[in-house]
Amino acid sequence: MLQTLQISGTAALAPTLVLGVTALLLLLIDSIDPEESSSALLSGVATLGSLVALAAAGAILVATGGEPQSLFQGQLVVDGMSLFFTFIFTSVTTLVTLASYDYLKEFRYKAEFYTLVMLAATGMTLMASSNSMATAFVSLELASLPSYALVAFLKNNRGSVEAGLKYFLIGALSSAVFVYGISLVYGVTGSLQFDAIASELGNTGEGLVGVLGVGILMIIGGFAFKTASVPFHWWAPEAYEGAPAPVSAFLSSASKAAGFVIAFRVFTVAFPQSTVGVDWVLAFQVLALVTMTLGNFAAATQENVKRMMAYSSIGHAGYVLIALGALTGSANQAFVLGAGMIHLVVYGFMNTGAFLFIALAEYWGVGRTFEDYNGLAKQAPVACVAMTVFLFSLAGLPIGGGFLSKFFLIAAAVEAATIGTYVLAFALVINSALSLFYYSRVVKAMWIEDPVGDFEVGGYPTGLYAAIIVAAVATFLLLPALGLFTNVAVDAAASMIQ
Amino acid sequence: MSNPWIAVGALGLVSVLVPLGMMAASALIRPTVPEQGKTAVYESGEVPTGNTRIRFNIQYYMVALLFVIFDIETVLIFPWTVIYRDAVSQVGLTKALVPMLVFIGVLVVGLVWAWRNGAVRWVQPTTSDRRQTET
Repeated sequence: MLQTLQISGTAALAPTLVLGVTALLLLLIDSIDPEESSSALLSGVATLGSLVALAAAGAILVATGGEPQSLFQGQLVVDGMSLFFTFIFTSVTTLVTLASYDYLKEFRYKAEFYTLVMLAATGMTLMASSNSMATAFVSLELASLPSYALVAFLKNNRGSVEAGLKYFLIGALSSAVFVYGISLVYGVTGSLQFDAIASELGNTGEGLVGVLGVGILMIIGGFAFKTASVPFHWWAPEAYEGAPAPVSAFLSSASKAAGFVIAFRVFTVAFPQSTVGVDWVLAFQVLALVTMTLGNFAAATQENVKRMMAYSSIGHAGYVLIALGALTGSANQAFVLGAGMIHLVVYGFMNTGAFLFIALAEYWGVGRTFEDYNGLAKQAPVACVAMTVFLFSLAGLPIGGGFLSKFFLIAAAVEAATIGTYVLAFALVINSALSLFYYSRVVKAMWIEDPVGDFEVGGYPTGLYAAIIVAAVATFLLLPALGLFTNVAVDAAASMIQ
Repeated sequence: MSNPWIAVGALGLVSVLVPLGMMAASALIRPTVPEQGKTAVYESGEVPTGNTRIRFNIQYYMVALLFVIFDIETVLIFPWTVIYRDAVSQVGLTKALVPMLVFIGVLVVGLVWAWRNGAVRWVQPTTSDRRQTET
């Protein structure tokens, strides 16, 4: 770090502002001529906007060294954690907007698509920075509402519309649960700001611990929806299957990371384990165990590749929940949280890449089941190599960053050295082994099986290919280069926990 | 033995029993005079026509949505206009004016987009459609 500069006021929010302005710009471009929307222009503006936001996040991180910058009387805070996650959101957004260039060519409402993606990304970066329950809720809604519309983007496709409706209804339910939880916590502590909640917690009367516990449980419910973990996970397979594949990639990577960043901040800043008197670590241990087991076992029984990936993303939510479930007093807390953050970075690339490969298959008109992928490697070897890297990295083989990030999670859980965390580490190993089975089914179909019928891939779309290859290279490079992120992540986590 | 929840439970019990008791008592005491007028939808004498499942023109939905946007805009601008003079003298013109201009600017971008995409274009139904909606 060069030196610690003071970045004043709204300049620290530059990534969020850039994304929001890009969304408005896309609307203006579309207003000029709504009938004739140019795919290249819109996709270019959206990709450029997210790249600028990415660069801005990096620049602020270098300039401030992750020093917390409090904005708007502490309603928002820009620190290492928020910038780290802004990096994840903007890189996933870049990949998705780049890939959508080809995917959306035939559709009419392109500008709306990119605008909604940009607005959702704005909400996510705001979630990463929010430092009070009010801003957390508003930014969560800002990230969610465009997502509902994006899932239902294929207006004339029954599956897409059904998925959008289900996603919306479950989202509305869990938002209601979440905001009720906030009201209970506010009732007990009398404040919405995270640090103020933490300092009020010591003064709560005996009788109010129950109310506080119910409030915390409800807030966990709200996060469970956003991160697609038990008990609000069942929207994920429906929504990811029905949605256009780039949207599934966006939701399962960026949206999930957004749910985790706000969960990390709420539970380490507002409800620190030492003062809260409610054992939320145990709740997260149970949730992590159930989520990863359910996700992986359900994924193993799927016949549809997209649905399999949806359940696998539930399983990965379970892995990251270890970062909260292992925050026991005996653990090296910064390392535990940092391991979760690192897994989310790697996951952002490998999972986005895998969904973009499915988008490529949809673009070609390949079917949805495992058998339909038979012999695809003969036609498109480059994309299939990339997909193999994604899948093996997701399973945790040392071919991509997924190996190291899972290793960190296991190490962090074992280091905490309680029965619960040992069980979690053990469950992660078992589930990863199981996941290797269903991921390799896709690899086997692509490389070993012979194609069922005569099938010619229709062209090699530039944008989709570029996005997939960038994601694959990033996934691969994260194996040797993960050390770069480890320090940033652990420092960010340490400065938040204090 | 002085759990305050006992009192709350008792209140809940009473609040259920009182209306139930009143309904039961009046059902026992009152005379029953069945009459046709009582079963009408509007006892005031208005004769209802058609059934309840009327199809609204979907275009009202857009109008309603635009109305909500402008309604909320008004709600947010109105208090700003009330304190505007004081705000200018306290924090200066830029800090008082620019945030509201940004807010209105964002809304204008949205309105322009909606207008260009035909949100306020009223499509006349063809005669066959109209017959369908009116019966």
